[in-house]
Amino acid sequence: MAHAFRLMGVDHELWLSRSGGVYQVHVGDISVAATLVPRGEHAHELTVRDVAERVVIARHGDDVHVHLDGETYLLRYSHSLERFAGQTADEDEAVARAPMPGAVIAVSVEPGATVRRGQALLLIESMKMETTIVAPCDGTVQAVHVAIGQTFDRDALLVTLERLKEAP
Amino acid sequence: MKRIDSALDTRSAEFRANRQHNLALAQALRDQQAAVRYERPERDKERLARQNKLFVRDRLQRLLDPGTPFLELSTLAANMDYEGEVPGAGIVTGIGIVSGREVMVHASDASVKGGAWYPLSVKKIVRATDIAVENRLPMVHLCDSAGGFLPLQAELFADRHYGGRIFRNQAILSKMGVPQVAVVLGHCTAGGAYVPALSDYSVIVRGNGAIFLGGPPLVKAATGEEVSADDLGGCDLHTRISGTADYPASNEFEAFAIARDVVAQWKRPVKAEVEWQEPEPPFYDPSELYGIVPRDIKVQFDMREVIARMVDGSRFHEYQPAYATTLVCGFAHLWGYKVGILANNGVLFNESAQKGSHFIQLCNQNRTPLVFLQNITGFMVGRDYERRGITKDGAKMIMAVAGSEVPKFTVICNGSFGAGNYGMSGRAFDPRLLFMWPQSQISVMGAEQAANVLADVKLRQLARTGAQLSPEEISAIRDPVVKDYRRQSSALYSTSRLWDDGILDPVDTRNALGIAISAALNAPIAAPSYGVFRV
Amino acid sequence: MASYESYSIMTGSGRNAHCLGVRVPPEWPFQSVLIANRGEIALRIVRTVQRLGLRAVVVHHAVDANAPAVRHADLAVEIHGATPVAAYLDGPQIIETALAAGAGAVHPGYGFLSENAGFARACLDAGLIFVGPTPEVIEQMGDKVTARSFVAHAGFPVAPSAIEDDDPATFVERARHVGAPLLIKPAAGGGGKGMRIVRDLAALASEIERARSEGQRYFGDGRLYAERFVENPRHIEVQVLGDAHGNVVHLHERECSVQRRFQKIVEETPSPALTPELRRDICTVAAGIARNAGYSGAGTVEFVFGGGTFYFLEMNTRLQVEHPVTEVVFGIDLVEQQLRVAAGEPLGFSQDELQPRGHAIELRIYAEDAASGYLPTTGTILTLQEPNGPGVRVDSGISSGQDVTAAFDPMLAKLIVHAPTRDDAIALGRRSLHDYVLLGCKTNIDFLRRLLAHPAFAEGEIHTGFLDAHPEVAAEPAIESALLHKLLAVAALTSRPLRDAADAVPALHAAIGAWRN
Repeated sequence: MAHAFRLMGVDHELWLSRSGGVYQVHVGDISVAATLVPRGEHAHELTVRDVAERVVIARHGDDVHVHLDGETYLLRYSHSLERFAGQTADEDEAVARAPMPGAVIAVSVEPGATVRRGQALLLIESMKMETTIVAPCDGTVQAVHVAIGQTFDRDALLVTLERLKEAP
Repeated sequence: MKRIDSALDTRSAEFRANRQHNLALAQALRDQQAAVRYERPERDKERLARQNKLFVRDRLQRLLDPGTPFLELSTLAANMDYEGEVPGAGIVTGIGIVSGREVMVHASDASVKGGAWYPLSVKKIVRATDIAVENRLPMVHLCDSAGGFLPLQAELFADRHYGGRIFRNQAILSKMGVPQVAVVLGHCTAGGAYVPALSDYSVIVRGNGAIFLGGPPLVKAATGEEVSADDLGGCDLHTRISGTADYPASNEFEAFAIARDVVAQWKRPVKAEVEWQEPEPPFYDPSELYGIVPRDIKVQFDMREVIARMVDGSRFHEYQPAYATTLVCGFAHLWGYKVGILANNGVLFNESAQKGSHFIQLCNQNRTPLVFLQNITGFMVGRDYERRGITKDGAKMIMAVAGSEVPKFTVICNGSFGAGNYGMSGRAFDPRLLFMWPQSQISVMGAEQAANVLADVKLRQLARTGAQLSPEEISAIRDPVVKDYRRQSSALYSTSRLWDDGILDPVDTRNALGIAISAALNAPIAAPSYGVFRV
Repeated sequence: MASYESYSIMTGSGRNAHCLGVRVPPEWPFQSVLIANRGEIALRIVRTVQRLGLRAVVVHHAVDANAPAVRHADLAVEIHGATPVAAYLDGPQIIETALAAGAGAVHPGYGFLSENAGFARACLDAGLIFVGPTPEVIEQMGDKVTARSFVAHAGFPVAPSAIEDDDPATFVERARHVGAPLLIKPAAGGGGKGMRIVRDLAALASEIERARSEGQRYFGDGRLYAERFVENPRHIEVQVLGDAHGNVVHLHERECSVQRRFQKIVEETPSPALTPELRRDICTVAAGIARNAGYSGAGTVEFVFGGGTFYFLEMNTRLQVEHPVTEVVFGIDLVEQQLRVAAGEPLGFSQDELQPRGHAIELRIYAEDAASGYLPTTGTILTLQEPNGPGVRVDSGISSGQDVTAAFDPMLAKLIVHAPTRDDAIALGRRSLHDYVLLGCKTNIDFLRRLLAHPAFAEGEIHTGFLDAHPEVAAEPAIESALLHKLLAVAALTSRPLRDAADAVPALHAAIGAWRN
């Protein structure tokens, strides 16, 4: 089973093998020998198919930031255990996440409040635009994770709800 | 070690004819294996898809490390049994690499009769667990079986090496500290339920996976209780409540990711040490093997030419080169490992058996694994030889083979007839792995000889009644006997019954032996000790 | 490719006498300047303040504690607010800080309080010198409607328009007279909100009603004005500089037509759209407006240009973000000029002495993802290598290790290139962007490279709708397979899980490879 990196929204499966001292990268049916030699201060020399070029690499957790030939790329390691994990058995939680980075302007609910699907939970501001964050389902507010004035990044957890079970 | 000087004329007519013949056999082998591995009726493929199950070959691909070899064993098991309706006996076994570790894989093929266990399926699984025990190989079980094939239960249940032996071997593996992980991808019913239960680790797929000693129909018949497969023994029951299985998985992909992660936790084995140096490909082209092996089994050839196309650098140190020349003995490196090779260049004479016994003892003394390349019609018979003790000498060779502690590997390159099979470490003498070549034959005596003997009996019976038979009538009696005998001594027959671990294309022998030797070194090598040599 | 030899107005070396490092005399009314701003502009002002031998005091919110401006300042004082932005908008706190720090002058930078007449007045009342024009001028030019009316009455060209307030009853009729295409804007609006373009006069009445209800909803004020809309307009502005003695000069124009969401991305001087005659006209008008307003300090008059005519749009009574392009072609430090004027000095040069040289382009580096609608991005700057060399200047407010958050405007830095011709400047810009390494937070650097490489940009065919007309600039190009393999190789070789898995396979099996019997 292969590893995968996500690049521009697409998972690419690949495998690294080593024979003798040389690493080979396998992507689909194609295998290429590749070496990476550090040249100080995040800079490296990458040699693929016998062509050497300068590349700058910075890692942060699972993120690999690459500057190659004047362009910047971000590859994110995707562990197979996460990639293939199905729904958790615990479907009782529902969350509202931030669609973009921004700041909280107003909070309309408190923990314990019952909300309907589509009901406003809080108001955020980003790029001089105001966006209302709404409840993804019927339920009860379990926790509001941000406060007025607080800034957050994209995909940040804003509100956790306990899903209201449908009547049998 | 000096490189073998090849005397082979690759441009001779003989070579070319042999080559054409053997290439065709190799191609036929590949085609037959491909069919057994992949061709299934559409309805079986559709059924798997409906059940949300992966085909066993796709499961293996998800399990094994990409870019690594997989030595599949007994691919053509049951090819001459059950009217050919149970390809591979519905089981896939082999030695592969998972998360960097050598493991023995045992996988049910649910596309074949629902993964039911036929007698030969049980034999194949027992063989896989035997190999695991002898070589201390960790195991991965991919479980998806409908259970034992009831109509043939008499051949798979009660005896010592029938179904129970699988579970006994699993328990012994665990006792030896060799880990196993079972991935439950379908039903594990009755005996089959013990496979995950006896594995140190188990993963189970929600929805499809189930473990129960008795399935829903049996439970209903026994107690009247009505319960679904999932409620009776499904993923959540066993991973949350009963503790029979360890890791729940939402789908097969996740199950394999978990299984690989489990294998990655296992302690790396300490391998037995043998002499080793950097590997080197043979100097001579291995594909020349096709031209060396004769079309007619009675035609002799020089095994040194075979050795030259299998070992590192084609280099070979021959032991006693001038003595007992019908048995070639010597040292070589194969994929870097130092090995001692015994190979037949004719019948075994007294001296050959003595040389063989001596050489086997040498290899045990300096911890050198043994490779037997068989092409043996038998020991020499005759008054003079008996006087000089050929039976004694044959016994010595068998004593040496049986007492050997270094791992043994056998390849039946051509003929394997009679007691010669024993002296050259046939199946009964526990080579760690044993392979055949496509054109090999194995039986108590050669087909022509046997046919003559059997036909003679018939002819003498008829002669007593006074009948005079024409040559055609004699043929009519002889030919079916010969034909049937040939069938039963063929490599395909042997492999169908699991008398061997698979038929190899000759050019694949080097890789197969390299992988086999590496796997064997997971077990320690004891100091040699033998019974009494009738000197 | 030609370029200029290296010179830097920051360190004071170079040709033009106006940028020689001259320390200010002790008689100056202030020896210490408080910079009420952040990011790249705060650092840039600190540099000039210090070069002139003055003391630089910087106020900062806690989130900016490690910013370059804070580290370079002679004194840094933390200020507080409900949000970081609120701190920089807290006039009284800033003035109090200035007084406590012994600062004699306050430089507001751009944005924040720079065009806040109340703040300017409060500074003066507190005895501080405000580096900018008088509060009255700020007030007059700050209100779009009064500014427009002032300019029109002074005889300078403004776009044909109709202001509802003048006579609500006849508004629709007067709007119709403006002619199509026209823009309906809320009087109380800003930031591009609530504006509608009307191309078909038959729809005018209903569009006015819709605009009114939106104005009511967004700004609580439904009043409108209508203005002739220039199709594919070009945004051209003129830098002016006046002293307290009535002298006003202009420093030619800048073209700022490449924009998104009404924010500028690329600015250049000179504008490729202007003939020498048009240039003379537009600059003369700008200087005239400034002179008429009694303008002192640095300011910018913005125009809409299209179809060979230009109309006054608005005046910004502060230093602009894109001021560096003017600085490099003239070899003048505008912040220094602002400080000199604030100190009461007369301008040190006449209009005739101002001769620009070559072509300059500024590229704004934003923390945003151009391909997904220019959404702002965040992250920690893991490594930073800014381009340098002859003709290359980077005004940057970031450093390696800094967190880029959603707390502030996403502009991180400005890259300014200067070369003898426009083609040379574009080439230098492309090469500098190629060498610009900023990893950890997605930026628009790759987008800017595609923009400079676009043939329409090279032809100078730019206007404010350029990016909408050429969506291929914002789109990320597909990654072809050879490049994909290189990237995956880099990722694989630097990731432990892959390396460990590769190293775990025994040598024999690795050597045999993917073999099957």
